[in-house]
Amino acid sequence: MKLEPMSLFWLALTVAAYLFSRWLYGRTGRYLLSPLVLVPALLLAVAIPLHTAYAEYARNTHWLIGVLGPVTVAFAVPIWQQRAMLARHWPALLLGMLAGSLASISSSWGLAHLLALDESVSLSLVPRSITTPFAMPLAHDLGGVPELTAVFVMFTGVLGAVFGGLLLRVLPLRTSLARGALFGVGAHGAGVSRAHEVGGEEGSVAGLVMVLTGLLNLFAAPLLACLL
Amino acid sequence: MKATVSNALPRLLAELCALFVLYFVGGQLVAWLGWPIPAGVMGMALLLMLFAVGALKPGTLQRGAGWLMAQMLLFFIPALMSLLDYGSLMRSEGWRILLVIALSTLVVMVVTALTVELVCRWSLRHEA
Repeated sequence: MKLEPMSLFWLALTVAAYLFSRWLYGRTGRYLLSPLVLVPALLLAVAIPLHTAYAEYARNTHWLIGVLGPVTVAFAVPIWQQRAMLARHWPALLLGMLAGSLASISSSWGLAHLLALDESVSLSLVPRSITTPFAMPLAHDLGGVPELTAVFVMFTGVLGAVFGGLLLRVLPLRTSLARGALFGVGAHGAGVSRAHEVGGEEGSVAGLVMVLTGLLNLFAAPLLACLL
Repeated sequence: MKATVSNALPRLLAELCALFVLYFVGGQLVAWLGWPIPAGVMGMALLLMLFAVGALKPGTLQRGAGWLMAQMLLFFIPALMSLLDYGSLMRSEGWRILLVIALSTLVVMVVTALTVELVCRWSLRHEA
């Protein structure tokens, strides 16, 4: 195999930007410096002036996306550890996840059509509130573009982490279950880390419902594919 | 803490290997059964079964699983770079897309939180 210095450069730059951003966020705690925002911004700032196409960037970095598969396997650990909470509160959590998912799918789809967005863009918007390892295969099943969905998932995480904090001040939520579910269903991974800042219980709830909502949506894919 | 560093890394790598093997086995199983679910979901189901029958304790894989979940962002950054090919889409539809995401996210959060809160209050009142 021929060595391609430019595409190895992208792999090295991606990992370096990620490590740098994680370190910087750990020191400053500034939300705009979190890896979710800073890493894509840094990489785009280098790639756009160089006129790099996605195919060229992806050549040696695409395998990283494949690791999302084993991440899905790892989700078994929080599910198992939170099974007592799940056994106790499953009606509230299940109804919350169902209502939230319905709200997510119908509002994404409805608003996308209202604003006359492209069909493939609209379909890619549908899975945007669930975590990437589930959102990308779901986008594929629905006929959307998985990469575009990953972009929308990122925007959702960035906005959701901010909105969630504001909503907590406005909504009369007395239970940690509701506060955690708000972040886990609404803003996946970014929401879960925000929920951990609110409280330990909120964080655990958010982590659990994030995974379960992803599963729920993925298993609803055949039904959704018929409806949309 | 320092003393544990020397065997923390091999331990982490072994746990990661186990998770990758489960993913691989899940993929084989899905292909063999012809089920339309991702390999990772099957791997997760296998791991849950191993926990359920007591063959594995969650603590055994906690470090590897925690590491993978904590670094999840690194694994989806390459997909974000697909923006490179969507420059014109973002220029023409970008603000509308952001509006959809922002409004829909608000709706999802309010609906989810209020549903869970109402069901919790209802069941508390009926337990008492």
